[in-house]
Amino acid sequence: MEKNIVLPLLVFFPMVAAVLSYLIGRKNKEARNIWVSIVTFLVMIGTFMLVGKDASYSLPGFCSLGLSFEGDGLRVILAIVTSSIWFITTLFSKEYFTHFCNRNRYYFFMLMTLGATLGVFLSGDLYTTLIFFEIMSFTSFVLVIHEEKESTIRAAKSYLGVAIIGGLVTLMGLFLMYHMAGTLNIDALAEFMAAQEDKRAFYAVGVLILFGFAAKAGIFPLHTWLPESYPAAPAPATALLSCVLSKAGIFGVLVLSCKIFLHDANWGGFILFLGVITMVLGAVLAVFSVNLKRTLACSSMSQIGFIVVAIGMQGLLGSHNALAAGGTILHVINHSLLKLVLFLSAGVVYMNLQKLNLNEIRGWGKDKPLLKISFLMAVLGIGGIPFWNGYISKTMIHESIVEYIEILHEAGLATGYMQTVEWLFLFSGGLTLAYMTKIFVALFVEKNPYAEGNSKNIHEPYMSKLSAILLIVCAVILPVIGVVPHMTADKIADASYHFMGAHAPEHAVHFFAWINLKGAVISVVIGALVYFLFIRKVLMVKDHNGNLVYVDRWPVGLNLENKIYRPALLSWLPFIGAFFARLAASLTDGFISILRMLIFNDDTGRVVPPEDQYFSTYADSDDDEEVYGEGFAKSLLMIGIGLAVAMLYILF
Amino acid sequence: MNGFATILPVIFPIIAGVALLPVKFKNRKQREAWVLSITIINTIFALYAIYFAEAGVVTLFHFSERLSLTLHVDGLSKVFGTMVSILWVITTVYAFEYMTHEGREDKFFAFFTMTYGVVLGVAFSGNFLTMYLFYEFLTLATLPLVMHAMDDKARHAGKTYIFYMMFGAALAFIAFVFLYCYGDGLEFVYGGVLNRQLVAGNEYTLQIVFLAAFFGFGVKAAVLPFYRWLPKASVAPTPVTALLHAVAVVKSGVFAIVRLIYFSFGTEFLIGSWAQSVILIAAAITIVFGSTLALRMPHIKRRFAYSTISNLSYIVFGAALMTPAGLTAGLLHMIYHAVIKITLFFTAGAILYKTHREYLYEVEGFGRLMPITFLSMALTGVSLVGVPPFAGFHSKWALATAAVQSGNPVAYIGIFALIISAVLTALYIFYIIVRAYFPRKKEYPKGYYEHVSDPNYYMTVPLVVLTIITVVIGLFPSNLLSILEKVATGII
Repeated sequence: MEKNIVLPLLVFFPMVAAVLSYLIGRKNKEARNIWVSIVTFLVMIGTFMLVGKDASYSLPGFCSLGLSFEGDGLRVILAIVTSSIWFITTLFSKEYFTHFCNRNRYYFFMLMTLGATLGVFLSGDLYTTLIFFEIMSFTSFVLVIHEEKESTIRAAKSYLGVAIIGGLVTLMGLFLMYHMAGTLNIDALAEFMAAQEDKRAFYAVGVLILFGFAAKAGIFPLHTWLPESYPAAPAPATALLSCVLSKAGIFGVLVLSCKIFLHDANWGGFILFLGVITMVLGAVLAVFSVNLKRTLACSSMSQIGFIVVAIGMQGLLGSHNALAAGGTILHVINHSLLKLVLFLSAGVVYMNLQKLNLNEIRGWGKDKPLLKISFLMAVLGIGGIPFWNGYISKTMIHESIVEYIEILHEAGLATGYMQTVEWLFLFSGGLTLAYMTKIFVALFVEKNPYAEGNSKNIHEPYMSKLSAILLIVCAVILPVIGVVPHMTADKIADASYHFMGAHAPEHAVHFFAWINLKGAVISVVIGALVYFLFIRKVLMVKDHNGNLVYVDRWPVGLNLENKIYRPALLSWLPFIGAFFARLAASLTDGFISILRMLIFNDDTGRVVPPEDQYFSTYADSDDDEEVYGEGFAKSLLMIGIGLAVAMLYILF
Repeated sequence: MNGFATILPVIFPIIAGVALLPVKFKNRKQREAWVLSITIINTIFALYAIYFAEAGVVTLFHFSERLSLTLHVDGLSKVFGTMVSILWVITTVYAFEYMTHEGREDKFFAFFTMTYGVVLGVAFSGNFLTMYLFYEFLTLATLPLVMHAMDDKARHAGKTYIFYMMFGAALAFIAFVFLYCYGDGLEFVYGGVLNRQLVAGNEYTLQIVFLAAFFGFGVKAAVLPFYRWLPKASVAPTPVTALLHAVAVVKSGVFAIVRLIYFSFGTEFLIGSWAQSVILIAAAITIVFGSTLALRMPHIKRRFAYSTISNLSYIVFGAALMTPAGLTAGLLHMIYHAVIKITLFFTAGAILYKTHREYLYEVEGFGRLMPITFLSMALTGVSLVGVPPFAGFHSKWALATAAVQSGNPVAYIGIFALIISAVLTALYIFYIIVRAYFPRKKEYPKGYYEHVSDPNYYMTVPLVVLTIITVVIGLFPSNLLSILEKVATGII
């Protein structure tokens, strides 16, 4: 562990630069674009400088408990992924945002989010993690709401709501953890937990901490904001959300699963359960979607499910978890790279057409080979086709499930549920291929029967040279990782084993042996079946002109957010809260109105100036007795009687 | 001479305020010069008395052998006194501009200056009697400020105000009598003054008396069920609501409660008793109650007023834990809330002053037109919510930690209340900020955006200064914490 000033600089430099970019942007837009690019580039260089150095840095006293940063294998890898993707999207933003307003605001919050995200990934204790996690949530909210349309505002508010509630629940968990363990330092916590015999009391705390991170990652049942917010944000911001910010949630899950509940089968089983539901649900939602970005968003959710399944398998496999650990980190990185290409492509589509509905953008990419090939690379990658990167990580995760089934089998335990998991895993892989084929075919293969407006300006380039180069570079990386996994993927996995408490596997995985290819083949078959039998038959209908069009057949009622979360948070709970608040308030009011009845007189039939209602009344007749009986004098009489009673009480 | 240094910051503004009453100033500039110099001079006096005089106990007046009026600057006085004297100057500057549209400024500033001395009197009091005296004075001195507008609403608010205050003081008086009978004296001594031999056998009575006094002082601290006056008093001019109802008056109530628990009855006597459970629960209920109602208020100032109710009970809750850690957390929140809430009220006042808009739905889309105002509101609002690493986060963290450490099962209810309230706080604050920056409609009726711009520097400078203070004490709370810890353990 060496002290390294680069760590805090990586976090705080972008934040300072954000302020500068705002100031520069008010004077000169072009200079600002250059400045932002330089900043993200420098940050990227900075993260690469951390490679191989086991760096750490702490700022005691800052924010009372102090901040601490660490830069070991996994953290540095995540930081490099973050900063590289940030750099690429920043370059891409320049063209995408040409016709947008409020670009200053966008760049300001984008850089703030960069610093905060790096803060999350490089954090050495959970307190630091939480601080930057919260900053990240709030600054990214502004990125989501950027377009300020009605639907955007609604989606962004869900995003903010989830961030606030998630953050607070996590805070509660951390705070209980701090009380129980006396520290929040991640390594110290790992030691502390390893020494605990009975972990039952910690599961509840773990679930609380998990809540906020799971919400950010989009894990079921906290995924509802995700299919709304991702499409609502501008494409570069969506790319950041999907490629990086969701991984911040995953980082939290990793800390919980690999440090606090290391090799804990109960916890692993729980995480696996969440992961399987997320994986399948996301894929199903994506199959039904008819909006390009929404499909990609649901796909993100599904892929996060794959990652979470891998994390769960780490817990179940205990100390033999190298395959699952490698699968986790590789799928994190692969997903980031894949989604970067996909969302940037979606950005290109939206930039030209201002539309995302599959029926409207249909056939637009037919004559655009560059975009088509880049997109195809990502489709093949995410579909888990051999020789593309997604295949590598999915194989490792699949292998780990198979391995666990064997272990169970040898131990003579029931393997039924794990076999279900395996089949669901392959099924989701198939669905992935099916929905990716759906959007690929729609965008690049089919002819659009109603394509009058879309094909104009055919001679103008549909994206700038810079964007094209970025897209190509990102797309080329995908098969490279897939073809030579032992030179690329294995290196990354090796660097991360330490963090995840795993040891490198005894023998290298033979990715292209039949036993491993079999899984991919099954998935491809399932995908083909789903595509041809379900998507083309059920999700497409002939319209009145006899053309096949995509229809959204997802039942409207089946929406967790609209049916349960929003009513619960916006109607039921406020009602109950207000009811009790009224009740509490009326306690005082009741007390006071009794006092009023006793002391003051506000009966009708007298001249009472409205503002003096309770001070005095003026009799309109000169009947002394009446006034004496009802007026201010009565009050005095009452007080006198009260005093007399008190006197009597004291005397006897 | 040192004794005089302690008395001066209390007496000087009272005399100056009385002297200002009959004076008719020629113009605004002249009055501003006078009032500002009195305030600044007194702040210097106050800070001198707090940090350099070291006068010990200063006796003002002897009634009898055991009854006297004394001033004594101890650790707690230092915290409260410093907070008040710094915020007072800032508020005065803000008030100059704001009051131009309220009128009758001569009278306003006279009472405003007087109140300064009275609040410092509460802070510097050396025994229960003196505190009680200044506490009553505070009610009287602030009444004209609350009723400043003198219309029906203001008069009604003023009446409610004075009834509640008198009622509270009467309850507190009971404790005064009992402390006189069962204690070794009325001085504030860390750990309490109750005499064990006299107390033996009368614990139950004394606990009831303690509760009476707690709720008596709790009137100013707006503890349920005696909170009604506070939202009503938000009809007062903004500098008054900001300073008096977010800082001086309500914090005097909290301050008195701290004195009552830690310096009069003593935690040893109270800790673990049913009386402690009662006050913890009262505080927890008020926390949730205030936040819930704040969420339902469309009137911006009233929303902040209910938010104040909730936040005051955070402090009371911390104090009611009766551990040094609890008191530290409570005091930390006291300081944070003072700075944050005064800023929030100032922003609401700036909107009201420039545009005469008072409701949430009337300020949509103002964020960009009043950049300084709304940036201040956003930053301090985020601090109030307790988004790390901003101010409110640390105090809430400290409060929750202290609650768990205290080991009191009732305190867990309080933690639960803190979490619920945090969610509600986030909702009621972000609601305004999000609406202001992201209006729901694209078009608004003609004239909607007229006059919408930042006010002049009289108002923006205090806002900027306060926002900077909020952010800085939020990012670097360690020094503050170590001082407060010393105060809470009775070292200074």
